[in-house]
Amino acid sequence: MDLLFFKASLSVYLISTLGYVLSLLAKRVLVARISTWIMAVAFVLHSIYLITRYLHIGYSPVLSQYDTLSFFTWVLAGIYLILQFKTKTRVLGAFVSPVTSLLMIMASVGLGGAVSIPGSLRGGLVPIHVVLSVTGEALFVMASCAGAMYLIQDGFIKRRKLNPLSRLLPSLRDLDRINHFCLLTGFPLLTMGVLAGSIWARVVWGSLWQWDPKQVWTLAAWFFYAVLLHQRLAIGWKGHKAALFSILSLVILLVSLLFVNRYFPTVHSFV
Amino acid sequence: MSIVIVGMNHKTAPLEVRERLSLLPCGEKDSPLTLLMGIPDIRGVLYLATCNRVEILADVLEAYSAVDEIREFMIRQGQIPVAESQCYLYVHYDQEAVRHLFRVAASLDSLVMGEPQILGQLKAAYRQSVENRTTGIFLNKLLHHAFRVAKRVRTETGIASHAVSVSFAAVELAKKIFGALENKTILLVGAGEMSELAARHLMNHGAKKVLIANRTHARALQMAEDFQGVAVPFEDLSESLREVDIVISSTGAPGYIIRREMIVEALRRRKNRLLFLIDIAVPRDIEPAAGQIDNVYLYNIDDLQDFVDENRQNREKEARKAALIIDEEVLTHQTWMNTLQVVPTIVSLREKLEGIVRSEMGRSGSWILQMNEEERRRIENLIGAIVNKILHDPITGLKEESQDHDALPYIATIRRLFRLDG
Repeated sequence: MDLLFFKASLSVYLISTLGYVLSLLAKRVLVARISTWIMAVAFVLHSIYLITRYLHIGYSPVLSQYDTLSFFTWVLAGIYLILQFKTKTRVLGAFVSPVTSLLMIMASVGLGGAVSIPGSLRGGLVPIHVVLSVTGEALFVMASCAGAMYLIQDGFIKRRKLNPLSRLLPSLRDLDRINHFCLLTGFPLLTMGVLAGSIWARVVWGSLWQWDPKQVWTLAAWFFYAVLLHQRLAIGWKGHKAALFSILSLVILLVSLLFVNRYFPTVHSFV
Repeated sequence: MSIVIVGMNHKTAPLEVRERLSLLPCGEKDSPLTLLMGIPDIRGVLYLATCNRVEILADVLEAYSAVDEIREFMIRQGQIPVAESQCYLYVHYDQEAVRHLFRVAASLDSLVMGEPQILGQLKAAYRQSVENRTTGIFLNKLLHHAFRVAKRVRTETGIASHAVSVSFAAVELAKKIFGALENKTILLVGAGEMSELAARHLMNHGAKKVLIANRTHARALQMAEDFQGVAVPFEDLSESLREVDIVISSTGAPGYIIRREMIVEALRRRKNRLLFLIDIAVPRDIEPAAGQIDNVYLYNIDDLQDFVDENRQNREKEARKAALIIDEEVLTHQTWMNTLQVVPTIVSLREKLEGIVRSEMGRSGSWILQMNEEERRRIENLIGAIVNKILHDPITGLKEESQDHDALPYIATIRRLFRLDG
């Protein structure tokens, strides 16, 4: 039953991605607007899935690797939709929705299979750790999407080559503001998420810090974001440099999220 | 019954002729509408006169004689030498007249293609016709259709989007950089028609404050008054660069007056806020290397001109799309006109048969009166159904024929067979 909703929302996410790509090809904002509504439908279906999943398994559906991916997508889509309805920068979806679709597909691979969650992960601060970190990371993904669009638009205006695509993309200032806003809100969330995680680590593993590859990479990414935020707030980094740096930081974060588990031995092997 | 347009525009006739026709008196008795309605063949008329065109759109009974009269009118009022009238005036009939009207409304025929004023002018002309009761069902329908076409062209093609003048190009680019221009500050360096025009456009789009720097400070003060801005000393240019968002420079200086280092320094002081530099001066005022600095966007006059040229080409491409839309709409209108041709015949055919039914029912009075209410009603329904069945094929046939061929022979045959005219 719950998987049905997952599949439905996955398909609708795919349709909205297709719509966004089409809007870029056709260079029509209207198509992007429709795609936004399609994505909203996918988000609702996804929300229903998460609720039914919670009722089904009896604990927060964010703990297994695939559940986390699905939850990550849900948060990303939610943040995007909120931004969308507030800022009206429709075309942002053309960058965000492929990410959501991709994450959903990755989540779908292992979803529904029997997952044994160790008892240590079921309770306490773990759901808080996951929710805060995932939300922070989703905001960083959003910041990078806006950053990528910024770099593209910046390139067009700098090289004095305005074309239908550049007319479709939002203005530089709007993109910079989205980037700024997402960093500003994402950073404290990730910080608290990491803190919650390490406090729980002390409870179950006995110490706050294990020099685990996962922890090291995450801390590195956190550090990059800290630098970026500092430069933005104190030095006044804006626009081009900030956009570039936010993409770089995301790469490190993604290594921590997606690759460390596969290629390094880690105690944080679940996600 | 025909629709005709007799007119002249900026391509066919010189300004002084167009002037004479667009400045006709608008009093009750001698207004062009009244004069034109005096022509016997004209059933409805619209008179559109702008600085670029004069068009007389008329719904007429007999096209050729009416056109002669309208031409006569224009030659007389415009004091056009008869010899030249041939090349000054153009005439369009029926479908071509409809197409021409749609093109005019959609601004495809304008001097600056896609400019929006013409639609408003056409609407005003139509309003005047309505007030003078010189429109009939045909012109009403046609004009409303033209307004719809104009709207459709505007929304479905990019004909009206994107700047086609250098000063508007500055606005469009500024919007791509800053989004909304509210609270943006402009620095005008030097004076010049184009730079002042650009500043005015930017202010119309929300830019709030203008700083003005000029080598002659008195000139700066004077301009500051015009713009309700602030004159700043020319020597303090570096200072001013810190607080503004858009710089428009057009001095007559022989060398660069805004150097790369000045911008780098200003950018550091302004915490890297985006800076849009427009250099309209020839020779250039702003060192080109400044354009390579992050968050600085530098456009010189050639860049802006290229941008405008590209937009122009784009408009022409969009115009081809618009032409397709217009073709489609002309066809729709033609279909309606065609159907209209057969409507009177259909109406008289129905009336005739209904008349027969009524009179026959009346004649068979005695026995029909013996029936009760219920039975009489049934008989009436039955007769009505039979009449409708019989009429169905000829009426749909007539409507269909009206679309494919010239319907006139069919109309004539039916009128003759059923003796509808006599």
